[in-house]
Amino acid sequence: MSDTPGLTVEVKELVKCYGSIRALDSADMEVAPGQIFGLVGPNGSGKTTLIKALCGILKPDSGSVRVLGLNATSDRYRIRLRLGYMPQTPSLYDDLSPAENLRFFGGRFHLEDLAGRMRTVLEFVRLWDRRDDPLYTFSGGMRQRISLACALLHDPELLILDEPTAGVDPALRQDFWNHFDDLRRRGRTIFLSTNQMDEAMRCDQVAVIQEGRMLITETPEAIRDRGSARITLELESGNRVEEVADYERELPRLLAEYGLAPQVKSISVRRQSLEEVILELIGEASASPGGDKPARSAGEKT
Amino acid sequence: MMRSVNLIAVRINRQFLRDRRFLGLSLAVPLLLMLLFKYVFDSLPGLIRLGVNIGDYSILLAAYLVHFLAYILSTIVLVRDRLEGTLARMFVYGYRRRDIVLGYVAGYSTIAAAQTVLVLVLTKYLFDIDLTSELGAIVLTVLALAVVSVGLGVFISNFARNEGQVFPFVPMVVVPSALLSGIAIPIDDLPVFLQWCSYLVPLRYAVDVLRGVVMEGHTFREELLPFLILAGVGVALLVSASFTLRERE
Repeated sequence: MSDTPGLTVEVKELVKCYGSIRALDSADMEVAPGQIFGLVGPNGSGKTTLIKALCGILKPDSGSVRVLGLNATSDRYRIRLRLGYMPQTPSLYDDLSPAENLRFFGGRFHLEDLAGRMRTVLEFVRLWDRRDDPLYTFSGGMRQRISLACALLHDPELLILDEPTAGVDPALRQDFWNHFDDLRRRGRTIFLSTNQMDEAMRCDQVAVIQEGRMLITETPEAIRDRGSARITLELESGNRVEEVADYERELPRLLAEYGLAPQVKSISVRRQSLEEVILELIGEASASPGGDKPARSAGEKT
Repeated sequence: MMRSVNLIAVRINRQFLRDRRFLGLSLAVPLLLMLLFKYVFDSLPGLIRLGVNIGDYSILLAAYLVHFLAYILSTIVLVRDRLEGTLARMFVYGYRRRDIVLGYVAGYSTIAAAQTVLVLVLTKYLFDIDLTSELGAIVLTVLALAVVSVGLGVFISNFARNEGQVFPFVPMVVVPSALLSGIAIPIDDLPVFLQWCSYLVPLRYAVDVLRGVVMEGHTFREELLPFLILAGVGVALLVSASFTLRERE
């Protein structure tokens, strides 16, 4: 199979069925190195299934997955030593402490300074002081933090994070993202799924998945630009409301109709948010099941 | 590989030590069942008239209990590991199937060994049996049986989607083991086709060794063949478990 050199992740025509349900339906995706790549989609859209395929714990029915230039099926043992994985649920041993969990899951990486690294990651997730307490005394958000600490322990080339900030408080979420930005600056690649649109906006690329199909893969700004804007002119005779695709060009045209427009008292423009655009994309895809797949290229508008 | 096996075994034993209630129950249940066995059969004077020494059977029962508990325990724990995602995480964090199977065997062998020793000590005092001459053979046989049980548990765990689905598999192993191993009914008294079926029951080989050593006064050397078959079954089950342990959905 040919693969594009330099890509960290390359997924081609990936299909996975559970009985009659097509969890992944000919999914394609490319992730360049040093990116934060966000996977967005509703519950049950195939995000976790795709993540499992990248980690080599899913047997695809057809299609191919290459991770770090290697085949995700036949080379999975080599790949796993170079990636960090944070599952959607914490997946840790509740009767063990954070330190014991880290020692167990990090034990396979033959790290020289395991104790030092453990301290670094536990301090980062602000749980160093509770390193010896059993995990069953921790809240859901705290377990998520330990789960992330496990994924970061061996400083992997590729981080695969399944909804990493679910249940994490806003301040710590900000810290997580600052750390992700820092990892990106150091050349690490981060692949994450999220339902938070402010997080999607911080990604370099965003893929929208619905019913196992990739609807679009673009920069978050490009996706947002596919949406419309609502311009409201407050006139003496009443309000004039216009839905336009490109408000930067449409606004001067509208204003030109009123000359210098002494009667325009104010102008408000409400641009669709990324979330609204993605929800529309998903809604369109749901309305036409089995129809043409939405375009993936950057230049086209819906 | 040994490092990974050791990490898993240490983790399992640490979990046992943390969960005091579970550990206490795992050790106390075989003892309580041995007590129940003694007091039920001590109240049956007919057995004494027939010259049956129930103490001889206590060792066989001890082996049966260790077999049964190690099998159930390892099946349920592996299914739970799968459900909670820790098994998947182990795979992604570099553990391989053979590491996991051997790690579980090593981890559970510790508790099986503790169960064996406690049960043998209780048996010695309850039934006043002198076990010192072949104690090593008895412990070795019960431990080999525990390895078989864990291998069987790992294998069966592949077929259960949740802990509830483990239970239909319990009688599938437990009942044939009780009926076809020679523990309660001599194998020679069974119909011929069931005698053939008994070769498929791993407990049969452990019972052969223990019966020979404890009840018939044989040496371990004389019972080496069934022991080697038991060990061979254990190795075969571990190899098949490390091939069948589901790594990918």
